[in-house]
Amino acid sequence: MMPLLRLAGVSRVYRTGGGMFGRGSLVRAVDRVSLEVAPGQTLGIVGESGCGKSTTGRLALGLEAPDEGSVRFRDAPLPAPGSAPWRAMRRDMQLVFQDPLGALDRRLTIAAQIAEPLDIHGIGAKSERQDRVAALLRDVGLRPDQAARHPHELSGGQRQRAVLARALATDPALLVCDEPISALDVSIQAQVVNMLADIQAARGVALVFISHDLKVVRQVSHDVAVMYLGRVVERGDPDIVFATPVHPYTQALISAVPVPGQRQRPRIVLQGEPPNPANRPTGCAFHPRCPQAMPRCAAEDPAVTTLPDGRAVACHLAETPSRIAA
Amino acid sequence: MSSVVATAAPVIRRRAIPPAVLVAMGWIGLILAIALLAEMLRPYGITQMDLKARLRPPVLFGGVWAHPLGTDELGRDVLSRLMVSIRMSVTIAFGATIIAAVLGTTLGFIAAHFRGWVEQIVLMLIDFQASMPFLIIALAVLAFFGNSLPLFIGLMGLYGWERYARMARGLAVSANAQGYAAAVRQLGARPGRIYLRHILPNIAATLIVAATLSFPEVVLLESGLSFLGLGVQPPMTSLGNMVGYGREYLTRAPWILLTPSFVIVTTTLSVSLVGDWLRDRLDPTLG
Amino acid sequence: MFRFLAIRFGRAALTIVLVVTFAFIVLRLSGDPAVAIMSPEAPPEALAAFRRAWGLDQPIWVQYFRYFGAIAQGELGQSMRDGRPAIVLVLERIPATLMLTIPAFILKVGLGVPAGIQAALHRNSFTDRAVMTLAVAGFTVPSFVLGLILVLVFAVQLGWLPSGGQDSWRSAILPVITMGLGGAGVLARFTRSAMLEVLGQPFIRTASAKGVPWPQVVRGHALPNAAIPTVTIIGFMVGSLIAGAVVVESVFSWPGVGRLLVVAVGNRDLAVVQCILLLVACTMVAANLTVDLLYGVLDPRMRARKS
Repeated sequence: MMPLLRLAGVSRVYRTGGGMFGRGSLVRAVDRVSLEVAPGQTLGIVGESGCGKSTTGRLALGLEAPDEGSVRFRDAPLPAPGSAPWRAMRRDMQLVFQDPLGALDRRLTIAAQIAEPLDIHGIGAKSERQDRVAALLRDVGLRPDQAARHPHELSGGQRQRAVLARALATDPALLVCDEPISALDVSIQAQVVNMLADIQAARGVALVFISHDLKVVRQVSHDVAVMYLGRVVERGDPDIVFATPVHPYTQALISAVPVPGQRQRPRIVLQGEPPNPANRPTGCAFHPRCPQAMPRCAAEDPAVTTLPDGRAVACHLAETPSRIAA
Repeated sequence: MSSVVATAAPVIRRRAIPPAVLVAMGWIGLILAIALLAEMLRPYGITQMDLKARLRPPVLFGGVWAHPLGTDELGRDVLSRLMVSIRMSVTIAFGATIIAAVLGTTLGFIAAHFRGWVEQIVLMLIDFQASMPFLIIALAVLAFFGNSLPLFIGLMGLYGWERYARMARGLAVSANAQGYAAAVRQLGARPGRIYLRHILPNIAATLIVAATLSFPEVVLLESGLSFLGLGVQPPMTSLGNMVGYGREYLTRAPWILLTPSFVIVTTTLSVSLVGDWLRDRLDPTLG
Repeated sequence: MFRFLAIRFGRAALTIVLVVTFAFIVLRLSGDPAVAIMSPEAPPEALAAFRRAWGLDQPIWVQYFRYFGAIAQGELGQSMRDGRPAIVLVLERIPATLMLTIPAFILKVGLGVPAGIQAALHRNSFTDRAVMTLAVAGFTVPSFVLGLILVLVFAVQLGWLPSGGQDSWRSAILPVITMGLGGAGVLARFTRSAMLEVLGQPFIRTASAKGVPWPQVVRGHALPNAAIPTVTIIGFMVGSLIAGAVVVESVFSWPGVGRLLVVAVGNRDLAVVQCILLLVACTMVAANLTVDLLYGVLDPRMRARKS
């Protein structure tokens, strides 16, 4: 099947520091990332904060233009951010934010904000819009009387539902959820995740689910990408990736997830701080923290290897399958 | 150490309106009512002369009830002239404040939207405006272009635009960077919708407080220029203009000058008080 | 530090360029500059010579650059009234203005800054309330009203001081007080809020919590930090030493630059107005630049900061 969205070798470079005359330094927030999202499927992206997963999400939506590579949606390149065709395209691709309170206008009612994308894209007659808003509220599990509330009168979970209702108003084909549950209480996280799954089943919307919560990503994703310092280091079926991680970084991430009843599990504790993207280590960027680093890792950038089970790994260990520790 | 405790103690915000602010609000209400109804309230025409009753003192200083605030050198009724002057000064100050707020906010939004060199130009203009005394610029423009009422209001409307521009730019930049404005942009909204329907209502309180604090300054500027004979021109009259012409009768008829002076001082004081109070209530971050 | 200086000097130059551009545009928009600068009655040959001298027959951008050149050489045209060079006319008025503005400046700073500091240190006390009331009065009473009231009381009623003119040093007393009181109010209010902001900072609490005596906390920590914003506004006041007396000079018929400006504006004597405009711009820019450099001395963080 043709992918809905394809990122081919995209990079995003930021210039940091430096004022009017200063040089500053270049930071490759996203470095030659290639990903695909199939219609109606979920791609999970995991990694530490600062690994470029949010920037990847923004590139996927065309909120920023890549410095290298291309992003194609329905096999057509994305228009320039802010242009009229770009605005029209927002109908088909939407973003769900980490901070629902910040993403809502505190001066407008929930109903007015959910109706806004309908106004913007001229969807439906004015009289129908109220009914559509009511239906959307129902879909995300909000009560009709909550339509007239303002954002600060709702709980965090309810706000995120409202944001979701707004994102779904135009019936998009792709929804990028950037840490959609990390600002919520644990008890509510599961509800929102289940709701996302229900909505996907009902509407066939494709999701890009960005999170640092491995368990949730495993639960919702059909495909998962692990990012480290702007690159995808391992990618594949979540059940395979999480059960038998190949990349030492993935192994470390997974060993850090607490599992009930297993108190004395061996944990891989990473050495050192997450490195500064402005000062990227040579060779494999993970080598200073890698428990299995070899001399070669400091010198040579590992190429992406596709394993027999279909997953892609960027690690020198994967190039010689016999040496895989897992 | 007692002073440490005193300064470190949290400020208790009172909910009730302080009496001074209430009085100030009452005075502003009165001034606005006079400004609106001046043409109906005034007992005489402002150019109506009564040469038999020249330089009559106010009623409490031996004058007559026919002219409660006395008359000027041509026997014109001071109360009538005062009312019409209030109307003129308030109109100019309102007009100018609105022009400055609209101009400044628009430029601030333009800077925040386009960034890059457009923003640099706006910032440069802001720096320039903030570093030159406005009175000098105003005088230069009046010298070059002569004077007319629309030009004068427009000129006053340049006063303080840079403050609105600074605020609007700062608030819009942060709203665009993260939060509701970014979210609405992402929905596919045009810039007009983002700025007018979302950002403007969200920053309106801050802008209104700024306008309240700038209003008395515009009144002072207008009255200063009119006092110098370079603002409102006769036969029209404004508060500063009355003070300016009353100056020649300072020794013989000080009331001509003191009544408009009193109105200027009480009005600017009242608006400043209300403005300070509003700022403390609505937006304590304003300087 | 070098970049800091370069940026500041660049900005200063830019402001001057903007003022000159402003004057150029306004001059062009307001009619024939030859007529405006010379006088409508000037003989046609003189106008033609002026146009040639100023290159008014050239394209507009050539004129623009020539205009800069002329200004750089101090050619600012002649006064319409007596045909003397505008710059001479303006320069000879400066001492009179400084006679008022310098003592007034000393009065402003001498009254305003200590009053503001006292008010902040004794927040919500009687002193604070009294200072703040006077400060608000100081800037809501326009200088022409205050000046005229002082004249009414001290010159007309009591007969102690002259009401205007420049006959003796006694004539300067009322205008200096008029300017000084208003400015002191603004400065007191500003100093107070700068000081209060600093006093609310954690490092002040830390200093007093670790046992540094309070007067030493104020002198060693609070004052230097509150000085930074206060210096900005004082810098603005220094910059308006020449321009700040427009209204007061008119009230007291004091023959300074401000009075000259008002008369020139009334007569539309453009050469003089343009000359004063540029002079004021230069003083403001010089004052701002000095403030920026002082920042570097007062605030070590500024030296390291990028822009």
